[in-house]
Order: sequence, then C-alpha cells, then structure tokens
Amino acid sequence: MHDVVIIGAGPAGLAAAVQCRKHDLSVVVLDEFPKAGGRLLGQLHEEPNGEWWNGVKEAGKLVQEARKFQTEILLGYPVHHVERLEDHFVVHTNKKTFPAKKVLIATGAAETAAPIPGWTLPGVMSIGAAQVMTNVHRVSVGERGIVIGVNVLSAAIARELQLAGTELHSMVLPARNVVSDDQSNPRVVMDRLSHIAHLAPSKFIQFGSKFAKFKFAQNIALKHYPKDGIKMWDMPIHLRKAVKQINGTDKVESVTMVDVTMDGDIIRNTEIEVPVDFVCIAGGLYPLSELASVAGCPFKFSEELGGHVPIHNETMETPVDGIYVAGNITGIESSKVARDQGTVAGLSIVKELLQTGDVRDKLEQAIAQVKATRDAASIQFHPEIKIGREKVERAFHEQHA
Amino acid sequence: MQQLIICRCEEVTLAELEETAKQFNCTARELKLRTRAGMGFCGGRTCRPAVDKVISDLTNEHPTDNVPLKVAPPVRPISLQDLGGGGNND
Repeated sequence: MHDVVIIGAGPAGLAAAVQCRKHDLSVVVLDEFPKAGGRLLGQLHEEPNGEWWNGVKEAGKLVQEARKFQTEILLGYPVHHVERLEDHFVVHTNKKTFPAKKVLIATGAAETAAPIPGWTLPGVMSIGAAQVMTNVHRVSVGERGIVIGVNVLSAAIARELQLAGTELHSMVLPARNVVSDDQSNPRVVMDRLSHIAHLAPSKFIQFGSKFAKFKFAQNIALKHYPKDGIKMWDMPIHLRKAVKQINGTDKVESVTMVDVTMDGDIIRNTEIEVPVDFVCIAGGLYPLSELASVAGCPFKFSEELGGHVPIHNETMETPVDGIYVAGNITGIESSKVARDQGTVAGLSIVKELLQTGDVRDKLEQAIAQVKATRDAASIQFHPEIKIGREKVERAFHEQHA
Repeated sequence: MQQLIICRCEEVTLAELEETAKQFNCTARELKLRTRAGMGFCGGRTCRPAVDKVISDLTNEHPTDNVPLKVAPPVRPISLQDLGGGGNND
C-alpha cells in the first residue's frame, strides 16, 4: 500500500509529491495525459515585468525536482474511481488499482463547453484544445480561425496561437442562447475585463484599463464600440459582434456573425458570413471534481471559484478523513497558486502520517505563501476570488461544528 | 436555423430537452434519464455544465451546493475487461 496516491501530475500534484518524498513517504503520482505538467504545459505569456512565462520549461523544472527525490510518476493512467474502504482507499485506473492511506485529488480544471449551432463540426474545438495542439503537440490547428468567447483565458491563448503563426480573424462573443448567458452579454464581459486588466500581461492592460473602474466609461465605450473592434496585438476584439452559428458540410467552412446591442440582443439584418477553417470556443474553466464527488466529498457552490468545489480548509484537507485537494479543483486560479497549494497539501499529509510537529512551521509558511502568490498573481480569473475562498473555508468549519 | 445540440455523445438537442421537460413536467434527474443528455461516452465531461444550465432553466431547480446530477464511477471510459479486474493489482 502507498502512503499517498496523488491524482494529477500538474503543478499542484508535483509540488505535493516533492514534499511527501522529502519526508520519505511512499508516493505515486498518476496522470491520464502522456506528459507531466498538467495545464502548465500549454502556457506561454509575457508577465507585466516583461519576462516570459514558459509553461513547458516550468513543468520541466517541477518534474526534475520530483525526480530528484525519486518520485514515481505514472503517465497514461486515467483514474476512474476512488473507493473508500474502512481504513484506506483504493484508487482505480484502467491498468492497475492502487491502495492508499491518503489520496490527494489534484485533477485541475476542465473547459466549459459553450454550445452554438454547428459546434459539433470537425474543426470546432475548445480554446484549450487549440492551446495543447499548438504548444504541446506542435500541430497547427488551421489556416485561419476565429475565437468565440472573450475572457482572460481566451485572450492569453489567442496570443499564443498568434505567436505560433496561426491567423485569427478576431475574437467575438457567442450569440445569446440558453447556455451562453453572461458570456454573450457585452456589459458583463466588459466589466469582467476591466477588473482583470490591471493584473494581466502588458498588452491586455492597454486594452482593459481604458474602461477600468468607471461604469459610465464602460457604457460609453460599449455604445461607441469601434466597428473594426479594439485591437490587441493587431487582432480585433469585438464586444458588439457575436457568432450565431457555425457553418459547413463535413467540416467548418464559415461562421455567421451578427451585430449585437449593448445588452447582447441580436440586431436584425446584420448577418455576414466569415470564412474560417477552424473555430475556438472559449467558455471558461470549471473545477474538475468528479473524483472528489465519487469519494464522497461534500461540495460548496462558488461562482467566484468557477463552480462546485470540494469543501476544504486552508491545510487542503476535506471533511472526508484522508482525502486532500489542491490546485484548480479548489477554484480557478493561476498555476503558481496551484503549485503553492500543492506544497501545503503535501506538508499537511506529512504532518498527519508522521504525526510530527516538525513540519508545523513549514506548513504555516506554505499557507502564507499561497496567499502571497495569490496577491501577486498576474492573471486572475475572477475579481472576487478571496470571497469564494472564505465561503469554502467557512463551510469546512460548519461541517466540523 | 440549425438545431442546437447540447449533448454531443448522445446527440440530444435543446429542442428535445425542451419538449421532454414540457411533456413530462420532470425533475432534472428524470429529464436526464429520459433524454440521456450527459450519459454518453464522455460521461458528461464535455456537456455537464451546459446540461446543468439548460436543465436548471427548464425545471426551475436552482443550483445548490450539491453537485447537480449525481457523479458515478467509472468517471472515464474504460473497457469491461479492465473494469472487471482483468488488470493487475498493486
């Protein structure tokens, strides 16, 4: 039996593994993807200080650190069940089962699909898929595409596609339907962009900060939104245009674009067809928590954190004795926060298994580090992340009350 | 206008969900079972948030702290042989 089975070889899982191995616990890290690093692998952006954040390199550093402490990392092992027995757990994969004293679920996030008529055509993909194809597999996603959905993630990835030499027509909103909701509302989208602008990479600042803080400025900006869009790295971003449907016989051939009002209502007789050979849909991220759910963890809904998250405290314990969580499963944040949460979870497990007070100071430092990293984050996915964190922490203590 | 597919594995359209909800006046769970939305090969990993959203709109069931529509193992596609213990144990 392993002391710890860690599910997810992203920044959170690897950082936790390092702490456990430093204290000589028996650890195995499982991941369904053939490469270690998680979503880090796709990331490439310029930080506000002008330095480049290269996810492949960062992932490499984490893997190297884990290997230095002889961490077993098994790739291509999708976990399909975490079974809770009387005094231990059994983690089921398609190849083997792994009995474990403690389980850390660090499964990260998944993309929210934003269905649009025609979205099942070949050539339509989520923006994250385009990122992985481009930055991880080095496969060109197409000749000329369009991004549907304007948010901090899609803007960052659109830039990556551009750097890889892929032509993008523009970034536009999805036309309103029962699912797209807020993402098709120009007012909401602009408001969200203005909140993140001051934190985001350089070009994004120039885009968003024009509208920051003042509602009336946002209204004026939306009312007089330039017909050609506002350009970021020469790519037009449209908040008053939306894609109504994706067209093609066997694959994507074009999209039907319409003008929309400040509230996202479609303006009649404004339809144009834009020829493209691929479409990226950006619906945002949500915590990927299926395994926490089957393991019996209670949940809290927090819009700030991106959806339903397993209840946990600041040492990353869940109310289910022996199950820990870290990284984006606890809320959508940057990979640096995920890494630091992983360190906390690792130390927390060490403290519990070795029953030693020696790690108490380290654990406290690690908890403080998560907060410091959060405050300094250059990309923030939700302006009220701390409120979400407090909600979940409160829920944990209510469970124990 | 093309139809809007919500669950791509089972090819369930928005219109189908709307009609079923209207015809049977059903709960979220019943609507899922009747239409198979979210019950296909991917286990709902692609469409779960969309299905949740459509269903909560149609049935007027608001999101609570509980995960809507129960998650059941296996949460990844797996062959029956692997599931039946054909593999090795550690």
